[in-house]
Amino acid sequence: MAGLIEQLDSAIADLLAGWNVYTTLLLGAILAFIGFVIYDTRDADTHPLLLARQAQAAYIRQPGESAAFRSPETPHGYPLRTGLMVKPPGTPMYSAGKDGDLRDIWRRVTGEIPLEKNASSSGTAQILTVFGKEEVTEHNIADITKEISVIGKHLKDHGAKRVAVYLPNSVEFLAALFAGAFYDFTPILIPYNQPHKTLIELLKQTKADSLIAEAGSLPLADVGKSVSGLRQLIWTVEKTSRHMDWNEVPEGIGGKIDVSVWHQLVQDQKNCPPGLPSDSGKAPGVVFLWQESVGKPAEIVEFTQQNLVAAVGSLITALPGPQRFNASDSFLPADSFTNSYCLGLTLAALFSHATVMINSVAGPGVDLALATRLIAPTLTVVSAETAAKLHSTTTKTVTGTLAKLAHSLETRILNSGRLPTDSLLTRINAPTRATVGTTPGKLRALFVSERAGLNTPPLSSEDLSDLRIYTKARVVYALTAAKVAGAVAQTNIYDYRRGVTPSNRHSHFGAPLSCLEVKLKDNGPHKTTDEQSAGEVIVTGASVAGGECALGVNATFREDHTLAYI
Amino acid sequence: MADSSSPPVATEATSAATPINFILLSLFVFLVYLRLKPMKPQVLPRAPPATVFRTFTPPELYPYNGLNGMPVYLAVRGRVFDVTAGRNFYGPGGPYANFAGRDASRGLACGSFDEDMLTKDLDGPLDKLDDLGDEQMEALQGWEERFLEKYLVVGKLVPVGSEEAKAAAAQQ
Repeated sequence: MAGLIEQLDSAIADLLAGWNVYTTLLLGAILAFIGFVIYDTRDADTHPLLLARQAQAAYIRQPGESAAFRSPETPHGYPLRTGLMVKPPGTPMYSAGKDGDLRDIWRRVTGEIPLEKNASSSGTAQILTVFGKEEVTEHNIADITKEISVIGKHLKDHGAKRVAVYLPNSVEFLAALFAGAFYDFTPILIPYNQPHKTLIELLKQTKADSLIAEAGSLPLADVGKSVSGLRQLIWTVEKTSRHMDWNEVPEGIGGKIDVSVWHQLVQDQKNCPPGLPSDSGKAPGVVFLWQESVGKPAEIVEFTQQNLVAAVGSLITALPGPQRFNASDSFLPADSFTNSYCLGLTLAALFSHATVMINSVAGPGVDLALATRLIAPTLTVVSAETAAKLHSTTTKTVTGTLAKLAHSLETRILNSGRLPTDSLLTRINAPTRATVGTTPGKLRALFVSERAGLNTPPLSSEDLSDLRIYTKARVVYALTAAKVAGAVAQTNIYDYRRGVTPSNRHSHFGAPLSCLEVKLKDNGPHKTTDEQSAGEVIVTGASVAGGECALGVNATFREDHTLAYI
Repeated sequence: MADSSSPPVATEATSAATPINFILLSLFVFLVYLRLKPMKPQVLPRAPPATVFRTFTPPELYPYNGLNGMPVYLAVRGRVFDVTAGRNFYGPGGPYANFAGRDASRGLACGSFDEDMLTKDLDGPLDKLDDLGDEQMEALQGWEERFLEKYLVVGKLVPVGSEEAKAAAAQQ
């Protein structure tokens, strides 16, 4: 026994006898490495096991279908979310709140309905408009309320019931939308920049009896002749063209169409504007057009107020507390308002008293760097085309070993669950970032929508991960569909995993929103068995037009219960 | 002591390759490998698959009484409940074991666990509960609500030879 210890002792002594400067260097390197690892280790943004199972499956399923999957916010056995839970002033503190409709959203914007108890703001939302390269104008909420009441009363007095709104993203668009809710007409939101023939076709199909359009954007003679039901027309004129007289009506139309000009109507009533009417029953719905691109045939969907507020409410609560819209955020809708996901997020931003920056340069293919030339938003919603373009243009600039090394380092950090921020390594070797906004680093979340069935460019999970590095912001990918207001499913904002879906197809879409439940019906080769759930997507809930609808796409719920295309 | 060994200069030049250096170098390489190796995403074990809603006839429901590793089902007014969680009551050896795999409506309405509360003929029509009074129907309603709160509905019970039974058999 003693001999063993002595042998061990002499062996260790021999080993340590070889100590020299190289040994000291190596030891120093090991200690420095361990020190750096300890310095660099931080908790992931969310617990990885929360991402390992995202949606909640029912325990029972009907034969031929899968189980119904729901968001973890509204588990099975509890009712789905149906609205905004808005509390008008004077309601007791712990009441649940009503569903509300667009009128309550505007009352929240003006400050008539206060924010929740522990949220603070300046009292109203703010709305800014960006005009081209020149200026950013702030709008007074009281003035916009006046415009809503003047235009709404004008249309109501002339008996308008279905008002087509053919405008780019602008304050007038939102005013017309809210006026419809207050003054009992249905706005029909037509995507901007249509060829004239398609516009006439759409006006006829949607049976519009009034039209609000930008002056000079359509040939009144043709439209007036072809659309027989059209009775009212309101031009919105940009500031630089207001000296012209837009009141004249081309011949051949006669007294059939009553033409007015927006700013003149508002001007005439400047001193005694009518106030907004008090609630007088159910507000009518809003008609959206689901179109692949301008010029193609469109699917016409009418959403009720319930559909819209359920979508807005669930979009608000889909984000975890620290990430939600709040009064200090500035939101840029870089997709057109005629897309219900973009409009839903805009209404959610207004509801939370954020600053909404409206740019008429907005639509499916817009360049985000151009749209944010004068502003620095903290949140923005873009179409999949814009995100794909941003990704491909920025990837081309990542050349050289150092840039690629920085990029792969950031990818590793993302994979471990953290969003990379400025650290020692990035200051030494900064990865390539896209230019978004005047102040780099302010963007904190980017919402991307995938439109089911419309051939939008796919974004794989690697693309989304790259976008997180390029924009230094969290990226949320949502699946949207024609008959569902808002989105069907949205990824968890903290879900940075890559490689969970194959690289040549769309990334997964996360868990369904809290206002609906999703089940998959057997469809041809895609069947639900004990091992997998697959089939055609059927969505039920308060934000679905008609209560339940089949989306016409095949999908599966993966092992982590996220929805993905097959 | 006179050192008659070799000059010290030569030994220092080749000293990089000492055993302790090898050990430390391999330790360093190992640590760097641990740090750089790609992480596998954390996964939870797969959730149990959902039970398929099924249309039962009394003979098909009969085996679900907890014996032979089968789950425990019982039927109340045409709805089949999965009461495996209440195995101590409804499973084999429990006080209400008579109800397992059978139509328990009459027994719950009358508050009795006797054999004569169950329908004898499994191929015959279901118990219509016509001769029960209001009190008993209220008791049955109360039991049904408790079951709906506690247990999962996994199927419906139809008599042998009925349209639904034939449709369900055709679908299989």
